[in-house]
Amino acid sequence: MTGALDGLRVIEVGDLTSAAYATKLLADLGADVVKIERPKTGDAARRRGPFPGGVPHPEQSGLFLYLNANKRGITLDLTRPRGRDVFARLVERADLLVHEVHPTDMPAHGLDWERLSRLNPRLVMTSIAPFGLTGPHAGYRATDVVSWSAGGVATLNGLPSEPDLPPLKAFGDQSGFQAALCAAIGSLGALFARLTRGTGEHVEVSTQEAVAAILELTFPFWPYCGLVASRLGAKPIQPLCFMECRDGWIFLCCVEEHQWTAFVDMMGNPEWAGMELFENRLARGVNFDALAVFLQDWCREQSVHALYEEAQRRRVPFAPVSTMGDLLASPHLKARGFFATIAHPVGGAVTMPGAPYRLSATPWALRRPAPCLGQHTVEVLAEIGLDARRLAAEGIV
Amino acid sequence: MTPRAPLAGIRVADFTWVWAGPFCTLQLAHLGAEVIRVETATRLCVTRLLPPFADFQAGPNRSGYFNQYNQGKKSVTLDLKRPEAIEVARRLCGKSDVVVENFAAGVMDRIGLGWETLHARRPDLIMIGLSGYGATGPDRDKVSYGPAQVPLSGLSSVTGYRGFPPMHVGISYGDPTAGLHGAVAVLAALLHRARTGEGQYIDLSQWETSMAVLPEAILDWTMNGRQPPRDGNRDAAMAPHGVFRAAGDDRWIAVAVQDDAAWGRLATLLGRPELGDDPRYATVVGRKRHEDELEELLTAWTRTRTPEEATATLQAAGIAAFTAATNRDIAEDPHLNARGYFVELEHPEVGTRRHTGVPWRMSASDCRVRRPAPCLGADTNQVLRDVCGYDDAEIERLRAAQVLA
Repeated sequence: MTGALDGLRVIEVGDLTSAAYATKLLADLGADVVKIERPKTGDAARRRGPFPGGVPHPEQSGLFLYLNANKRGITLDLTRPRGRDVFARLVERADLLVHEVHPTDMPAHGLDWERLSRLNPRLVMTSIAPFGLTGPHAGYRATDVVSWSAGGVATLNGLPSEPDLPPLKAFGDQSGFQAALCAAIGSLGALFARLTRGTGEHVEVSTQEAVAAILELTFPFWPYCGLVASRLGAKPIQPLCFMECRDGWIFLCCVEEHQWTAFVDMMGNPEWAGMELFENRLARGVNFDALAVFLQDWCREQSVHALYEEAQRRRVPFAPVSTMGDLLASPHLKARGFFATIAHPVGGAVTMPGAPYRLSATPWALRRPAPCLGQHTVEVLAEIGLDARRLAAEGIV
Repeated sequence: MTPRAPLAGIRVADFTWVWAGPFCTLQLAHLGAEVIRVETATRLCVTRLLPPFADFQAGPNRSGYFNQYNQGKKSVTLDLKRPEAIEVARRLCGKSDVVVENFAAGVMDRIGLGWETLHARRPDLIMIGLSGYGATGPDRDKVSYGPAQVPLSGLSSVTGYRGFPPMHVGISYGDPTAGLHGAVAVLAALLHRARTGEGQYIDLSQWETSMAVLPEAILDWTMNGRQPPRDGNRDAAMAPHGVFRAAGDDRWIAVAVQDDAAWGRLATLLGRPELGDDPRYATVVGRKRHEDELEELLTAWTRTRTPEEATATLQAAGIAAFTAATNRDIAEDPHLNARGYFVELEHPEVGTRRHTGVPWRMSASDCRVRRPAPCLGADTNQVLRDVCGYDDAEIERLRAAQVLA
C-alpha cells in the first residue's frame, strides 16, 4: 500500500509543536520529511519531556518522539553562511518547507521567500509565527499560554464560583496544535494549487488567528449582540457538568429534553426532578446551583463506567472523564488499534497516539521512529552530493 | 493573472451539522471549493437554533454561531426522510468530488447514502465521516456531543486548577480539532486522486483526533504510568508562567518567562535586577521551587497596569506576554484588524457583522471568505438546476411534494 503523499519532499525547521506536527501529519501519510535541527542542542522539544523516569535525555522526550516519528533528521547551522548554502541546496529539490522560526530571526536563518522561490519556483514555503509575519505585533513573542490567551480561548475557561482564579489554559501546547493544523491545510492547499499553476507560493499562519478561529459561539456574541463573553457567566443550558462518582468523574451531558427525561428515569424519577425549577434546559441552567446539589448527591453513589454505559444505552451522550490509564485500557481503542508502538534505538519501545483518521486506499502508517540528533545527516547530504564529514569539520552540521 | 482558488472546480456535498463537520468544510470553502450544505428544515442544524442571534431576535438565519462557521457555503434544503430527497442527494453526491458527514456512525448507510452506494455511482469519490467514536469498534454506536469529547479524550483530567475538579476548556474543543484533521485528510486524498484517479473513504473518530493533540499526557502514562496532575496555568519547564491579574475589572495578562535570560530581563522590569542572578531564581529549577513567591512579585507589578500597557512593556523586553483577550478585545484588536483578519460581508438578514476569517494567508492563490453564510435553502433551486440537472418543472414538482423542505 502506498501513502497519499508518497514522493512529496518536505523540509521542516521546527522547535516544539507547530511546524513539527504540521509535517508529522504529512509524514504519516507518506511524505519524505527531513527535519533540520541546530547542531548540538537540537529541537527544544528534546528538552521538554515527558521523559522516562522524569530524567531529561535528548533522545527520550515523549513529545519529541511523538511529533517526529516517520521523519529523517539532520543537523545544520542555518545561522552560518555555509549552512545556509547547504540549506539552499536542500530547498532546490523540495516541494514544501515548513518552519516556525520567529519573524525577527528569519533573515538570519536564510528564510527569505524571494530568494528561495527564485532558487525553486515550485517551492511552497509555510511560515508559522505567533502573531503572523505582518502587523504591529508581528515582533511579539509567545508560548502556548500567551497564544491561547491572545486568541481569546483562555478567558472562556474558569469557575464562576471562583472569580479570583485566573482564566485557565488547556493542558499542553494546544495553540501550537491548532497552528499546525492550519499550516498543514494551507500547505496542502498550496500544493493542490501548484498542480494547475505550476509554481509554489508562500503560506503564512498566525497562531493567534488559528486560536481566534475556534472561539465557537462566543466570538459573535460581540458583533451580534454587543455582549462580552466571560468565564464567570452561567452556562445557558444544564446539565453540561462534571460530577464526582465513587470511582472517578463523569461528564453529564443533556442537550436535548429527551436526554434529560431519560437521565431522570435512570435516577429513579426522584421527586426533586419534577420541580418547576428544573422544568426545561434553560430553567436548569438558571437554577444550576440547586440542581448541582441533587445531581452530586446521586452521582456520588455511582460507578463511572456503569453510569456511562447505562446512559449510552439510552442514547444519552455522557462521557467519562478519562484518565490516561483509561484510554490505554479502552477495549474500543484497542479494537481499532489506535495506540501505536514503535521501537526507538535509545529509548526502546514507545507507545503513542496513532492514526487520527483511516484512509481506505492510502493508510496512515508508522514506519520509523523519530530521528536521533543528526542521525540522517550523512545520508541526506549525500543525496544532494555533499560530504557531511567535511561540513562537520567546519562545525556546520 | 488573476489568482485562482486552490480548490476551484472542486465540489463538496456537505451533510454535516453542529461544529466538527461544518468546521471541516469551512476550511475547504476558504480554499475555494464549492461547498453545498444539505439541510433539513424540519431538523435544523442546532447552531441555527442557538444564540447569539443578531440583536437578540431569534431566527434560523440570524445565529452568529451558524453564520460564523458556514461562511462561503451554499445551502440546499432536502427532507431526507423522503425517498425522493435521497435520490436528489445521490445525484448531488454523484456530481461532487467530496462528501462530508458527521452523523453518528452508520446513519448515512441507513438512509441510503452510504459509501458503497455513493462510490458505486462515482468511483473517484472521496468521502469522510467524522463520527464521535469512529466507524468501527465496540463503541461505534455510542453517541457523542462536542462538549463530551474534552472529558472523553482525557484532556479534562489534566486541565484544571491545582486541587480543583477536572475542567472543560471553554469551547467544544473536540469539534474544531476533528474538523481540521478532517480537512487535512480530505486534501491529502484529493492530491492522491489527482495523481492516481483513485477516490477513497476516510473514517475519522473525533475521540482519536482529540487524543492526537494530547501526547505529553499520554506518553507520560505509557512511559511512566504517571497521570499528570492538574496544575493550573503552570508549566514544567518555564517559570513564572501563567495568567496574572491586571488593572481593571476582571482583566488579566498571560506571561511566560521562556528562559533564564528572559527572567533576568523581567527582574529588571520589576525593579529588582539583583534577582536576575540570585541563585534561588537564576535557573528554572530554582524558579519552579520558588514559584509562589515569584508569582506574587509579578502580580504586584501586573495589577497596577492595564494588560495592554503591561504587554507592551514586557514584549519590548522580549518576554512572551499578551492580554487574556475577550471576544470584544479580539474584535477590536488593532493588530488583527491591520492584518485584515476579519470578514464583514453583507448578509440578507443580519446585515454586516464581523466574523473571524481565514487563519492563514497565501501569496499566489485566491484564499478568502467568498460569501456570507447561506440563509436556509437559499441555493436549492440553483443547485438542483445547475448541479443536479433538474429542470424548473421538476424542481416545482419536488417542492410541491415537500421534498425540498
